[in-house]
Amino acid sequence: MADDVRERILVRLGEIVATMPSIKQVFRNYVDLTEDQLPAATVLDGDEETEDRTDATQRPPNRPTLAHMTPEIIIFKLAPQVGPDISTLRSELIKLVLYDTELNQQIVKTGRYGNGTIRYLGCQTDLGWERSMFGALKANFLIKYTLRPDDL
Amino acid sequence: MAIDYSALLYDPIYAELGVPATMIVQGTAGEVELTVIDDTRSKMQASAGVDVRSVGPGAFARIPELTAKGIARQLYQGAVLTFNGRNWTVRSYEIRGSPNGEDLGEVRFFLMAVEFQ
Repeated sequence: MADDVRERILVRLGEIVATMPSIKQVFRNYVDLTEDQLPAATVLDGDEETEDRTDATQRPPNRPTLAHMTPEIIIFKLAPQVGPDISTLRSELIKLVLYDTELNQQIVKTGRYGNGTIRYLGCQTDLGWERSMFGALKANFLIKYTLRPDDL
Repeated sequence: MAIDYSALLYDPIYAELGVPATMIVQGTAGEVELTVIDDTRSKMQASAGVDVRSVGPGAFARIPELTAKGIARQLYQGAVLTFNGRNWTVRSYEIRGSPNGEDLGEVRFFLMAVEFQ
């Protein structure tokens, strides 16, 4: 039975974001929102890379290898004062992801995939005007894990 | 002799498209009645590859009408403008000018929601 660790991580990220009390809806890879759905968050899958580009050994191609993915979580909000609101959401999000037991221990760190880690890489913000002040915050994470082709 | 654009252009347009509005200016008592043209448009904000659709609320008003009712330019921002059943705060504005001079032209108010969920 397929057990894609990358997909498990992405599903878990969506579940984590859904626990944020002030987020009304959570989407994944959905890029067309309306104001009625805000405050909302979107989990974007992001890229995945391995270091195998420089691996010229004759090890079997299906051997486990270290991979890292860089999912992005974007939070959107309309509010008269989006600055403090976005800061609060950022704090909640970072803590939830970095402290999540399932993500940290079962999937990435001490689970069967091993050698994993989670890093918060930073964030970018965006502002604008719609019906009210619009604020967006994109948080970037790096998650490292062992990719086992046999599990795909 | 210069063409009177207020009489020939703006008055007929506001008579046709204008809607009644009230404006409450900060620091003054009472509300002022005037005519505005609802210029609320759809607006989309693109952030990090995600589009968020909303509206950009706005309204046109004639500067001579505002001036005649005691609303000078420095009083625009922060005023509460009510029309078409909604309340807005003027967050900014732009002078639209006129062939007869900016004081005889229009102003476009950039609005934001007063009540927000």
